[in-house]
Amino acid sequence: MQSIPERLKISPFLVFFTISSMQIGIGILGFQRVIAKSAGYDAWISVILAGIGAHLSLAMMYSILQKANGSIVEANQQLFGKWIGNILSILLVLYYTGMVVAVLRTYIEVIQVWMFPDLETWVFATSFMLLTIYIVSGGFRVVVGVCFFSIILPSYLILTFFYTFEYANFRMLLPIFDHSIFSILKAAKDMTLTILGFETLLVYYPFIKNVEQSKKWAHFSVFSTTIIYAVIAVITFAYFSEKQLQKHIWATLSMWKIVEMPFIERFEYLGIANWTIIILPNVCLAAWCSSRIVKQVANIRQKYVLVAIAAICVTSACLLKNRNSIELLNDVLGSIGFYFLYGFIPLTFIWSHILHKVRKKA
Amino acid sequence: MFRGFRRDKTPNQRKEQRPARTTWELLRILGQSMDFETQVLKNPHSQQHFWISYILPLIDFEIVQKNILSYLLYSPIQTLKDIEQAIPVEDVIVTSNVTIIEEKLHEGYVLIQLNEWANEGVLIKAQRNVIRNISIPEVEFSVVGPKEAFIESLETNLHLVRKRIPSNRLTIKMLKVGSLSKTSIAVLYIEGIADEENVNTVMQRISDIEFDEVIDSSYIEQIISDNHNSPFPQLLDTERPDRVASILAEGKIAVIVDGSPHALIVPTTLVEFFSSFEDYFLNWYIASFFRLIRLFSVAFSILITPIYVAALNYHYEMIPRDLLGTLVTSRREIPLPPILEALFLELTIELLREAGARLPTKVGQTIGIVGGIVIGTASVEAGLTSNVLLILVALAALASFTTPVYKMGNTIRLMRFPFLLFAELWGLLGVVFCFCFLMGHLLRLTSLGRPFLEPIYPLRIADLKDALIRLPFSKQARRPKQLRPEQPIRFSAKKANKKKDIDE
Repeated sequence: MQSIPERLKISPFLVFFTISSMQIGIGILGFQRVIAKSAGYDAWISVILAGIGAHLSLAMMYSILQKANGSIVEANQQLFGKWIGNILSILLVLYYTGMVVAVLRTYIEVIQVWMFPDLETWVFATSFMLLTIYIVSGGFRVVVGVCFFSIILPSYLILTFFYTFEYANFRMLLPIFDHSIFSILKAAKDMTLTILGFETLLVYYPFIKNVEQSKKWAHFSVFSTTIIYAVIAVITFAYFSEKQLQKHIWATLSMWKIVEMPFIERFEYLGIANWTIIILPNVCLAAWCSSRIVKQVANIRQKYVLVAIAAICVTSACLLKNRNSIELLNDVLGSIGFYFLYGFIPLTFIWSHILHKVRKKA
Repeated sequence: MFRGFRRDKTPNQRKEQRPARTTWELLRILGQSMDFETQVLKNPHSQQHFWISYILPLIDFEIVQKNILSYLLYSPIQTLKDIEQAIPVEDVIVTSNVTIIEEKLHEGYVLIQLNEWANEGVLIKAQRNVIRNISIPEVEFSVVGPKEAFIESLETNLHLVRKRIPSNRLTIKMLKVGSLSKTSIAVLYIEGIADEENVNTVMQRISDIEFDEVIDSSYIEQIISDNHNSPFPQLLDTERPDRVASILAEGKIAVIVDGSPHALIVPTTLVEFFSSFEDYFLNWYIASFFRLIRLFSVAFSILITPIYVAALNYHYEMIPRDLLGTLVTSRREIPLPPILEALFLELTIELLREAGARLPTKVGQTIGIVGGIVIGTASVEAGLTSNVLLILVALAALASFTTPVYKMGNTIRLMRFPFLLFAELWGLLGVVFCFCFLMGHLLRLTSLGRPFLEPIYPLRIADLKDALIRLPFSKQARRPKQLRPEQPIRFSAKKANKKKDIDE
């Protein structure tokens, strides 16, 4: 394994920003309706359950990577042999690329529905991917910088949720545990797409300076995003009635409509524009991850891979023409993510554990 | 064809570059220029002849007459060694090295030979220094604090810094750059505080420069900066010796170029461009307040016209009804779309600024006032621009002048235009998109290999004490971490922060 020079590595506390900025993406604009579909207004419990699941999965990832002492590519090679390992890694490339497409296309859809109905998908997708290429070619340090600012700069948006308190009715959450365990778990599964993102850790793990210290930041990060999601879910549930909520695909944006200041109204426009900064690290880090895996597996220069991936993303974003196809992509990606986090990772974890023990004995 | 090309070039090169092999040959080449003179004198005591050669505009004739000729003619001199001992000038060199002779003659030395054909001669320093007096800083003016500014002489500039740091650890390294100009460049740092690696990088980059005529420190700045294609200055320039002394004490490095009244400071960060040196002369509350005002005014200056264009083009529903009334009234008569209106006014302001900068001060002021009032009012009355936009553009221009560093002010004014175009294209979304590009660019920038956005990213909380706000001196006990200083502690923080009890 080629070791990463110290100057390219990031401080452990920055893992907080890489993880939370990846988790907070396009999902937060409309996850409330999806989870309320099966669990009703008990769905906030599902958010917390999904968070706990994420914590477990994250801990297992750390264990796998620490045993492999490298990224997921090395771990796959060590655990499954060169061929199968590399095939698994290539599947991961597809997964991360799919993530880029899903985030980008969903965001473009939001813009088309809320702001500019005439916006051509390819124009915005191309510009956005050019921006991504520019940032990613600056290296991992720059990508992490984007993650950092995407948390710091738009953090003021949290304050705007207080405007809904005037119209909120928290009694709507009662009675608690009105739904079966099964439907609450189903909602937790639906939550996967929204909390996805921290699995990029698998690729950038070797770039972290002090791994042991970064663990607590990573968990703290997952914890805080879970809290933010739960709070937003509760606020939304208190603001909308259950039937009304089902009519709002992007409930968060709908809530912004009531924000009113002496110099600004219809806050959702500012919110959507601001969301560019929030989805930028999603796209950049995922694009960085997929191009990095290809570089490691196939030994091609990352620059060329990055351009190729960007081209693929633009093309596939343009091919997704309507709401149904976008929803399909998001659903597929959500279930792949679900099985990845709670199937592949635990199995690999057990396998790496066994293999480690056996090798130690031998 | 290739061969022919080469053959053509060789004789030409030989003619230009073949150095003189003997002193006599050198003097003959120099003699082709009319300002080169050789005199033959005779010492009445020893009957010895002297050949004195010099380049007339470079030497001070008073020194020659008082300190050289009087001793040459009236003391019993036989050999070159005698001259060296007899003459009371600090810099006397006996040499037969033609390159040294050539170099020194161009620095204002006088060459004395005992024989016209001899290679050996004595070089005596008789430099003429035409320098202006030290004046008050004009670009980085401060109301309180020292009022000295650098001038065009390297020696004077070094004196101004040296007298502020009377320490044997202040190290000055000299380099010569420029195949024609042979400009002296001094690299200043404090041994034991500045990071060795930074010093080496600066020395390496300066000595790698290949350029013919280095006129000013800004040439050096552009050549050694990390990214040549960035509108952002990556080295801080200053004309204040007090600022140089203070950054040296922090562990930074200063570069002073002969003939330039501006010193360069490396490595630097973005926030430093928004801190005026006067901040340190004021109480920390006030200094921090002004820094925040400057930060706000930069954001305002870049974003306000793009937001105006975006809001009026696409998002008028975002403007509350009462405010919309005002806007509509002011724009009712305007035939132009917001972007043209904004571009028209922005370009007018740029014209006024450029005209004001190029003209003599007195005329420039008139242009500013006449242009500002007359053109502004007239264009509103003619129905070309709206009142509101006129106010916004004027405020934005004013805000851009609050940046203490001139070069950064220019960058900020330039940055408004891409934002305007993106605002026209995609409204607020475009503004944010353009901001993302700016953010990516700033994240990629480095100054001497150190991140440009430090201490914001990579976040170093300890360094934030002197970034967006300035904490009191008692909290500034450590040097900035970004510089990796060899001695991070400036003074004992414990003593400075000691709390006194009542009546103690």
